[in-house]
Amino acid sequence: MKFWVETFEDFLKRIIVIVFWLLLLLPFVIFPFIFIVVPALGIPLPNANQILTALLDPLKALPLVNDLGLGPSSLFFKIAAFPGFTFAALVATGIILYERKLLAKIQVRVGPLYAGRFEGILQPIADLVKLLFKELLVPAKADKTFFFIAPSLSLALATALLAVIPLAPDIFIARSELSLLIPFAIIGLTPLVILIAAWASSNKFAFIGGLRALHQLIAYEIPMMISLVGVVILSGSLDLFGIVEAQRGLWFIFPQLLGASIFYVTMLSELERIPFDLPEADTELVAGWLTEYSGMHFGLLQLANYIKFYALAVLFTLIFLGGWLGPAFLPPFAWLLIKLFFVITFMLLPRAFMPRVRMDQLIRLGWVWLIMLAFVNLFIALLEASIGMIL
Amino acid sequence: MRRAVHTMPEALFLAVAVITIASAILALESRELVYGAVALAVSFLGVAAVFVLLDAIFLAVMQVLVYIGSIAVLIIFVVMLVRREKWVSMPAGKERILGVIASVSLLAFVGFVVLDSGLTETFISTVTPPSFFEIGRQLVTEYGLSLQILGLVLALAVIGALTMAKVEATRNK
Repeated sequence: MKFWVETFEDFLKRIIVIVFWLLLLLPFVIFPFIFIVVPALGIPLPNANQILTALLDPLKALPLVNDLGLGPSSLFFKIAAFPGFTFAALVATGIILYERKLLAKIQVRVGPLYAGRFEGILQPIADLVKLLFKELLVPAKADKTFFFIAPSLSLALATALLAVIPLAPDIFIARSELSLLIPFAIIGLTPLVILIAAWASSNKFAFIGGLRALHQLIAYEIPMMISLVGVVILSGSLDLFGIVEAQRGLWFIFPQLLGASIFYVTMLSELERIPFDLPEADTELVAGWLTEYSGMHFGLLQLANYIKFYALAVLFTLIFLGGWLGPAFLPPFAWLLIKLFFVITFMLLPRAFMPRVRMDQLIRLGWVWLIMLAFVNLFIALLEASIGMIL
Repeated sequence: MRRAVHTMPEALFLAVAVITIASAILALESRELVYGAVALAVSFLGVAAVFVLLDAIFLAVMQVLVYIGSIAVLIIFVVMLVRREKWVSMPAGKERILGVIASVSLLAFVGFVVLDSGLTETFISTVTPPSFFEIGRQLVTEYGLSLQILGLVLALAVIGALTMAKVEATRNK
């Protein structure tokens, strides 16, 4: 068997050939696009002069972008950049770094240290570069279609959660009178993606992990939704705006402490975080349903998980901690970020000192205790509503 | 009178309808059972999209929550646990011809009803869609009795399933 090893010279030659052909062929694509397609669609195109000034002074680029219909007030910008995907992904990478540093401090380690001058602050970028350069390994017996679809589908579902979650009275993507219900409908789709990923890997560890995930997610979805019914009764609304506005007098975490604790526990379970990380238990199942995923596939799945983490943390802040409400010396968005920081810290903490629960304990906790307590919480909410505590 | 598809909702409806029907056919015809089950989930999602196009957001959310979140997941769960060699296609016989006749006549009947009903013309509804508050109010006032009967039936089904599981478990001992 002969191996062909690529030398650095071969590599450079290959790159030069690719660049040569690209430079030769691109004008045949770009010029027809600029001179035929764009005028036909009626999009105003900036001329070379404007583009050069925009490159020098970013503020001058703003009207150009607005002309193209991609400005900060456009729907595209909202979905792709600010309250939507890019912001959430940045927060998610921030959470990953914060988690590693926080857990390290609690367990008397140092955590990421060398990337970046200050306390390993560039570690997420180093991780990303590492994942991008790793090979995408596909098992020989895997179902290729599903194996490739699952990571993107997972990320798409996590991003869809952001659609109806507002961050401030004027920062939101879409408004709906059912905005409390829609995220949980989307969360209900995650077992489907996990099952697809687990089945497509055709690996027994992945399959066992997928089955565990299914048992766990189905068991914890029900108490999660019942624990929120109390808040709906007290605020008389399924709209997140209405729920936040109803907390002007008193945050719902005080009358609904039981509901908030149930929601917190089920949230950890939905995210497969440490007391409930049976689906990816790395001492028993290699990495559970993530076993066969490598490189950027794994990166996408992790990103999806942390975007979901961020979305659920925002939901907890909005539903129980009064969202953007606070004294007027800070803008509403700043209040939301401050509360979000504490919620995220509180959600990260169990990983530092909790052992993993057993499968039977997990199922018993979900189907017996949490559902029962959620119903008790429902009656507490009814009692509070009848004596007019909030309304 | 027939009009060409030129408005956005109509184009969207056409796309959604094609996806829904195509995935429904795939769900029936696919040799690989898991593909069929996933196609069924996509088809349910298409129905939810139709509800969204009809301004019935609450119904769409419920469709996603119940049909995809529970039923499709359950079907895929069962399909994955089953060995695939056991599923051999049935030999075609007289039943096949009968089935073709039955389905064609059913299609003709439903098509005739739809064409006769006056739904072929598109119109823009001026009635605002009912909010979910109204749905909830009617469920507990006007349809209160049927809601309670439905709840009773579901509770009976759960109790029955539990009893059967218990009997099986004791018999196995």
